[in-house]
Amino acid sequence: MWDPLVRGLHWGLATCVIAAFFTRHGPEIVHNTAGYIALAIALARIVWGFAGGEFARFANFVASPRATVNYTLAVLGRREPHYLGHNPLGAWMIVALLFSVLVTTGTGWLLDTDAYFGDELFEDVHAFFGKLFAPMVALHVGGVIFTSLRQKENLVTAMITGRKTTPDN
Amino acid sequence: MIRILMFSVAAACLMASQANATGLATCNSGPKSAWKPEAQLQKMLIGQGWQIRRIKEDGGCYEVYAIDGNGKRVETYFHPLTLEVVPTSKTN
Repeated sequence: MWDPLVRGLHWGLATCVIAAFFTRHGPEIVHNTAGYIALAIALARIVWGFAGGEFARFANFVASPRATVNYTLAVLGRREPHYLGHNPLGAWMIVALLFSVLVTTGTGWLLDTDAYFGDELFEDVHAFFGKLFAPMVALHVGGVIFTSLRQKENLVTAMITGRKTTPDN
Repeated sequence: MIRILMFSVAAACLMASQANATGLATCNSGPKSAWKPEAQLQKMLIGQGWQIRRIKEDGGCYEVYAIDGNGKRVETYFHPLTLEVVPTSKTN
């Protein structure tokens, strides 16, 4: 289902975000390197989201607001359908995470130039979105565990192997 | 299950909202009324050929973002009572 590029970029980005988060007060070389790689990965994933295969393309899993609300209500009513790829809530978390990576690494890049070094606005935006990763990643992992238990499938394994153990695989 | 989710998010928020001090350096600088003024520090550094980008407070120190006389970006801490450089844990 999820192709090797989707899976590889996912774990690569996860590694970079975690590395950058925990090196935010140094060492700078690790923080900056992780940030630049994260930016490259996010851009590659966005390109792949338009040019990639069925389960990689945003158009195939980013649901409309109405569909997302309906899905959320279905989850609360314990009657949500199973998705072979990303479900609507997972999809919006992907969008939010990719957006935050772009903002955080973009401002980080500017702060690493002579022109914007120490710039207060970019520093504040960089710190805000950088710290936002803590609750976002917690929510992301929480959602993965929740859906895995509810749908009786292991989404972590699926993101490693590209296969789901559900009957409609 | 929802409770697990809410707990993990709350814990993560708490982690992210820790005090703003970076812990890079701390200065035992006492009340601000005794500090040497920021303007004096700025004047001193400009005199050394620095282009000051920003001066803020961190851990009771003055934290200066600047381009030094050699055109190198520096993030340096100064003790507010002495205006001497405070070593940081950061590799610059």
